[in-house]
Amino acid sequence: MKAIIFDSSTLISFAMNGLFEEIKKLKEIFNGKFLITKEVKYEIIDRPINTKRFELEAMRIKKLLEEKILEFPSVFELNEEEISKETLNIMNSANKIFWGRSREIRLIDLGESSCLALSRMLDKKGIKNAIATDERTIRLFLEKPENLTKLLEKKMKIRVTLNQKDYKFFKEFKIIRSTELIYVLYKKGLIELKDKNALDAFLYAMKFKGCAISDEEIEEIKRMEK
Amino acid sequence: MQEKENVLRILQETKKAIEEDDGGKINKLSNQTINTASLTQDPDNIAVAVVAYSIGKIIERENYKPLKGWDEFHKTISLSIKNSIEDIKKNDEEKFRKDIELIRNSIENLSGKLKFYIQEVFRKASINKASKLYEHGISMEQTAKLLGVTLFELASYVGQSSASEIPENKTLSVKPRIKLAMSMFELK
Repeated sequence: MKAIIFDSSTLISFAMNGLFEEIKKLKEIFNGKFLITKEVKYEIIDRPINTKRFELEAMRIKKLLEEKILEFPSVFELNEEEISKETLNIMNSANKIFWGRSREIRLIDLGESSCLALSRMLDKKGIKNAIATDERTIRLFLEKPENLTKLLEKKMKIRVTLNQKDYKFFKEFKIIRSTELIYVLYKKGLIELKDKNALDAFLYAMKFKGCAISDEEIEEIKRMEK
Repeated sequence: MQEKENVLRILQETKKAIEEDDGGKINKLSNQTINTASLTQDPDNIAVAVVAYSIGKIIERENYKPLKGWDEFHKTISLSIKNSIEDIKKNDEEKFRKDIELIRNSIENLSGKLKFYIQEVFRKASINKASKLYEHGISMEQTAKLLGVTLFELASYVGQSSASEIPENKTLSVKPRIKLAMSMFELK
């Protein structure tokens, strides 16, 4: 059994492009579960459903949950309370990794932390998993903290230090983005549009709705198809 | 409140801009506040950045001035900014927060087109400042929380920007990530 843990950002990229059928198609070919935490549910359903602007997107994501395309970690007999407790531990710890002017730099919040907590809990159960996140900061944090240090220094115009000792916990999380999920659909021939530029159109659509991917990376993905 | 002197400076410049009817200068100043706020994440700094930026934008728009309710709104913002400056000087943070809040609350007393326009300016100002915080390296979720905007609106705004193009954003290269995605789906 495997799991893909969806962060708010990835579901937002799909939702803002109206690609709900594409999520269903991905689920059909996935031998495992698509998971969301209750913290992510709050960000993508509970909160936006009360705004006129994003009510529809929230409702349609809610439907994915009702149809069990997206599921809660309880399908793996994981306790919500334990996830929430671990989420807080991880968030507090993550927000003490980067320091500037003798103070900690708060970088991430509950939803993002809950995905990390769930990933670690699935690891402990021996369930192969990856986090689907389109968010830049969390990806930099997990994959290249030295680049995040550089970015913080450049933008905040201060010296930033990385607490290497406590960082060890954050190594080896596996990250994919909505763009890689689109590529999977494309490879499986599950993208309905048969236009020769369909892959390009899908990848850029994800980028313009918030997926942190550069033009150069998109071009590289496209070159893999030639 | 953190970086009090900076907040005071922004408010004094905002007051001057209102008096001189020149909103152009405030934009740059409000971005400086966001620079500080990215580190401190102080709600007062963030609120002032949004209010100052919004006032700057509102003053710039000549077509708002003939609309019903403009004079009253203009009086309220002028007085609230003046009072909030005095509050900081007197170290009265509670009163300062009330005066800043008064500006946003005064929108509720407006009606018609002006109410709609000004609400939009404040909403867009919050998203704009959120995107600036995000550019500083703070996560989208943390930023959305600090500015009170939804992740949906922030993601779309950030997606239109060039935030993903900076060299620091590069982490794992394309091929191994594609390979990971394919392996999750048992594809080669």
